[in-house]
Amino acid sequence: MNTHTNGFTKAVWETAGRAALIALALAAGARTAAAQTAQEATAPIRTVEVGGTDVSDGAYKAGEYNGLQNKGGLAIGHFDLRGGAAYDTDSALRWRIKGADLGLDTRSLSGEVGAQGVFRLNFGFDQLRRNRSDSYQTPLQGAGSNILTLPGGWQVPTVAGSTATNNVVNVLSVRGLVSAIGTSRYLNTQTTSPTFTGLLTPTASQISSVNSASLVDVPTFQNYNLFTTRTKFDAAFDYSFDPRWGVSGEFRPEHKDGVKPMGTVSRSTGGDISTILPDVIDTNTYQTDLRLNFRGAKGFAQAAYYGSIFTNNVPFMQWQNWATGPTVTGAANLGTGVVNTMSSTPGNQFHQVSGSGGVTFSPTTKLVVNGSVARNTQNDSFLTDSTTPVVPVSSLNGLVVNESFNAKFNAKPAKRLTVTAGYKYDNRDNRTAIHIFQYADAGEAATANANFVAGPNNPLGAVLAQNANANRAYSKKTNQANGEADFALPSRQWLKGTYEYERNNRDCYSSWISCADAAITNEHSLRGEYRATPTDELTFRVGYTYAARRTPSYNENAFLALVPYANVSPATATGGMTAYAFMTASGWNGWGPALPYAVTTGNANVFFPNNNALPNAMYANNNRISELPGMRRYYVADRDRNKVRTSATWQATNELSFQGNVDYNKDHYADAIYGLQDTNTWAANVEGMYAVATDLSLSVFYTYEDLTAGSAGNTYTTNSNAATLAGALATTVGLSGNSCDGFTTLLQRNNNNKLDPCLNWFTDRIDKVNSVGVTLMGKEVWDTKLDLNGNFIVTRARSDNNVTGGNWANNLLIGPGSAPTTTAAFFIGATALPTVSTDTYELRVNGRYAVTSTQALHLAYTYMRMTSADWAYEGMQFGSMSGVLPSNEQPFNYSVHVFGVSYVLSF
Amino acid sequence: MKRLYRLAGVCAILLGGVAAASAAPAPQTGTVKSLLEKDAVCTTCHDASSPKKIFSIYLTRHGNRADSRAPGCQNCHGQSDTHIKDPGTAPDVVFTAASKHKSPADDRNASCLGCHESKVLPRANWTGSQHQARGVACTDCHNIHVPDQKVLNKATQADVCFTCHKAQRAQTRRISSHPLAVSGLGTTAKMACSDCHNPHGSTGPTLLVKNTVNETCAQCHAEKRGPFLWEHAPVVDSCVNCHTPHGSANAPLLKTRVPWLCQDCHSGDHGNQVNSAANLNGGTVTTVNGQQMPGAAAPRAQAGARACLNCHVLIHGSNHPAGAKFQR
Repeated sequence: MNTHTNGFTKAVWETAGRAALIALALAAGARTAAAQTAQEATAPIRTVEVGGTDVSDGAYKAGEYNGLQNKGGLAIGHFDLRGGAAYDTDSALRWRIKGADLGLDTRSLSGEVGAQGVFRLNFGFDQLRRNRSDSYQTPLQGAGSNILTLPGGWQVPTVAGSTATNNVVNVLSVRGLVSAIGTSRYLNTQTTSPTFTGLLTPTASQISSVNSASLVDVPTFQNYNLFTTRTKFDAAFDYSFDPRWGVSGEFRPEHKDGVKPMGTVSRSTGGDISTILPDVIDTNTYQTDLRLNFRGAKGFAQAAYYGSIFTNNVPFMQWQNWATGPTVTGAANLGTGVVNTMSSTPGNQFHQVSGSGGVTFSPTTKLVVNGSVARNTQNDSFLTDSTTPVVPVSSLNGLVVNESFNAKFNAKPAKRLTVTAGYKYDNRDNRTAIHIFQYADAGEAATANANFVAGPNNPLGAVLAQNANANRAYSKKTNQANGEADFALPSRQWLKGTYEYERNNRDCYSSWISCADAAITNEHSLRGEYRATPTDELTFRVGYTYAARRTPSYNENAFLALVPYANVSPATATGGMTAYAFMTASGWNGWGPALPYAVTTGNANVFFPNNNALPNAMYANNNRISELPGMRRYYVADRDRNKVRTSATWQATNELSFQGNVDYNKDHYADAIYGLQDTNTWAANVEGMYAVATDLSLSVFYTYEDLTAGSAGNTYTTNSNAATLAGALATTVGLSGNSCDGFTTLLQRNNNNKLDPCLNWFTDRIDKVNSVGVTLMGKEVWDTKLDLNGNFIVTRARSDNNVTGGNWANNLLIGPGSAPTTTAAFFIGATALPTVSTDTYELRVNGRYAVTSTQALHLAYTYMRMTSADWAYEGMQFGSMSGVLPSNEQPFNYSVHVFGVSYVLSF
Repeated sequence: MKRLYRLAGVCAILLGGVAAASAAPAPQTGTVKSLLEKDAVCTTCHDASSPKKIFSIYLTRHGNRADSRAPGCQNCHGQSDTHIKDPGTAPDVVFTAASKHKSPADDRNASCLGCHESKVLPRANWTGSQHQARGVACTDCHNIHVPDQKVLNKATQADVCFTCHKAQRAQTRRISSHPLAVSGLGTTAKMACSDCHNPHGSTGPTLLVKNTVNETCAQCHAEKRGPFLWEHAPVVDSCVNCHTPHGSANAPLLKTRVPWLCQDCHSGDHGNQVNSAANLNGGTVTTVNGQQMPGAAAPRAQAGARACLNCHVLIHGSNHPAGAKFQR
């Protein structure tokens, strides 16, 4: 935790103290309260508040959104000034200007002036600082800019290790920044070594390299506080030509700047490494609203324009790769320094015109319609480098047309019956052109793909890089219709029934095959609700919803829309066969047949060799992007939804009341063999309120929420016929811990690597959150001079993840000459993750004591505390993951006291 | 800050001019006088010294008598002839008085909709909206007689909404949330519920202010709107496929934790791996029954720290020609 101190603490307190003393002196002769006259009761009250506050400790999380992140003093400044014509005059002119939190990074200012019914002008300013981390560290220099460099003396961190050809080397690993890890004994993997699979002790040279890098690099990790600030302005007007016609508009420019953490990946070392960059934010958003309004006795209409223009002033992020440079002192075999780049989010525009109107046919029969059309465009230049040899266009020229229509009809055909019918249409029509981009991954040298050479079977030409992907322009069209009937039963009871139908169509503009896992989803929902107010003191409601979403045809091969070379015959295939054609003919998805190892021939051997999954290279991609058969993406999968809602309110006495409700949700994805299976949520809320006196009340609430989600997966690997491991004899090695399958030899397991039931896993995630709060509100208590309010809120969150299943890990010490009984592989059972916990306490007490009728002292105290534990932070520390540069961020833990005193003048 | 000072200066001059112009008392004509005489039917008894601050309505828009649209007492409370003759009886429309039977929500709302249905600030989508259909009355949220309504003040609006939406109140107190909760010294909440929701009814789902979830979110998060070269299907489908906007135990506002949130949809390549405590520092996978050497015993990068987002950080979409995996 870092301490952040404001330099002007003393000055603030001195100023506040002087202001308070002067105010109190002035107050001595002030008038006392008297019975209010109509003039007094209708005179606007203006207030100015000045003072100071002291924050006991700097904590970014405590001050995440409230401007209290720094230790020390801050000024308190609020004002609310208003005036204009009195209510009983012919002038409707009134004005108001208001400022809040002027001494904090969360200050705001607003103003308004208008002659009511004729015109109104508004302006506003609002600053929002969001603190992200005060424990982030990086060795990169230039944080705050988009060019980041490593310290001049940076040495590539390594650990002592071995390769197939050399067993005395240093291998890349950022874990070597912890010397004890980098210089520990290591496994000999040099295949020609007589001690293959034996343990080696690092040589002095290896140790020297590890320690040299550790000694130089660790001190270069410097703290850099991460926060972003939004600065918003707005100006608005409203003008009425007459009581029926008017125009209004608003312009809202917003600037956002700061730095936030961003993961990146580089591949320049042959493997993926990650660097958490201090990502620079410098963006502008300009929003505009214009409206023309018609208001009549029987109806209204509005024509409107909404525009949003987003611009990004950061064209890219560039950083030096910690695994390669700038110097190679630590590991001479790792190459020279490499600079990596990352694109920034592009600017975009959204322009929408809309119209709405409503007609009241009778007091109980109404029709309202709304419609809009919008163009959403983006055309920023692409960022390219040597890894992108084929960029068919220099920018996207992206276009999405959004259309929306909504109609709602309400009627009361009988005294006790109200009916509503609605229809809604939304269409996100992405008309962006499709192109094929050929590229290598970040930092990887682009090389030609031998599977797709130029020729008669390859109309697209040769693949010049490891990946040939086509963009997918996702579109979604929603049609929704609903009907509702609300029937009033005797004795203040109501019964309501609702039916809703929603159909979603998803596709991609000009994609070579459908890109949608579920091109169509249909959902039918039925809702029933009973509510009653049997007495003035008691109301309750209970409702139940059942919804069934179905996908007529889930397409497990939709992923191929990304890889158009699945529709091009590779050089090794016969008869012009393509991966897509072979899959379609076989009825398989990318995972292939549910079969163990077998010798395959011909095109089967090209596309599903040994009954394995479709090789990535057969669709010109570096990664396996196909899913397990039975994987259903939950947002489009078949789903049964059950919801129960209950609530009750009871005014037990004039002073005492209670509210409570219980909500339950269950989503079940019946067709999903893999992926999300179920989610269950239930929440209970209870609140009691007691009016201790006319102007003094106490309330207590408790909320419990329980969220669970279960999903399934499988760590399948490639079928093989390998009977040996690292040269060990096939018949002499066995398995350990394999109670989930019947395999006893390595050969049996390897033949069934795709089908091994041991490889199934399941996660059961549980979030349980308890919240308790007490609120005290007192107005004009203690001889009518004290306004007092306070609250104390405690939140206790616990997240567990019970993982079952597991995976195989080969015995690293096995090799030629291993004893016949040596275990070849161990089954490592999955184990539950440590509980993630967060306890938050916040106590706030505010007292405003009226010294006179126009002056008051405001005293405030706040205590904020958080304790949290989260295993994810382990991965950010020195000595944790080998390929992720540590950022040394810490879980949030703070304990902060805030005192404030201010003087309030009302006039 | 310079821009702030400039803006404040312009506004101060503007407001100063207006204030000076309005300082002179305006005359009272017959129309205003007539309206006040109508009010006097009520204010004769419910005068300025009334314990309930009835007169403060004259500080509000509803009490601005120079605006001919502003309602009089009886426009909202009904003619209330019986009540005028016998003050012990209730007026025609009772909004909040605890000592008298509150009027049904439809009757109370009819008073407001008399103007707000079409003539003044039309509440276009109120009828048939979730709040209307559940018997919520305008005055359950609005306190018409006070010049500073809690529900119209960003600092206090959420408290009004939380009267019913209690689960959301608790959610705003979680480790990851939007700035909806008042915290610190009572500093103004930087967001109001109405930034995203229109409680009077809307064309969007869950009373959102825009037609769709994504249009609503893009008001503040325009950088995620795209279109991008590489789009992520669930993102363009709906932000709430992954996010729960009121607050979450899983930052940033995620429905569940990564990597499992990602693995709910992705089972290919390294997405098919099991991640458990066995993958953490000192776990049984990283030590493989004690046989892996410390130098090589690293936890999986897909599970620790930011998990999948260690690399696939541009998950809302990438505009890099090589960004198909959302990592550039």
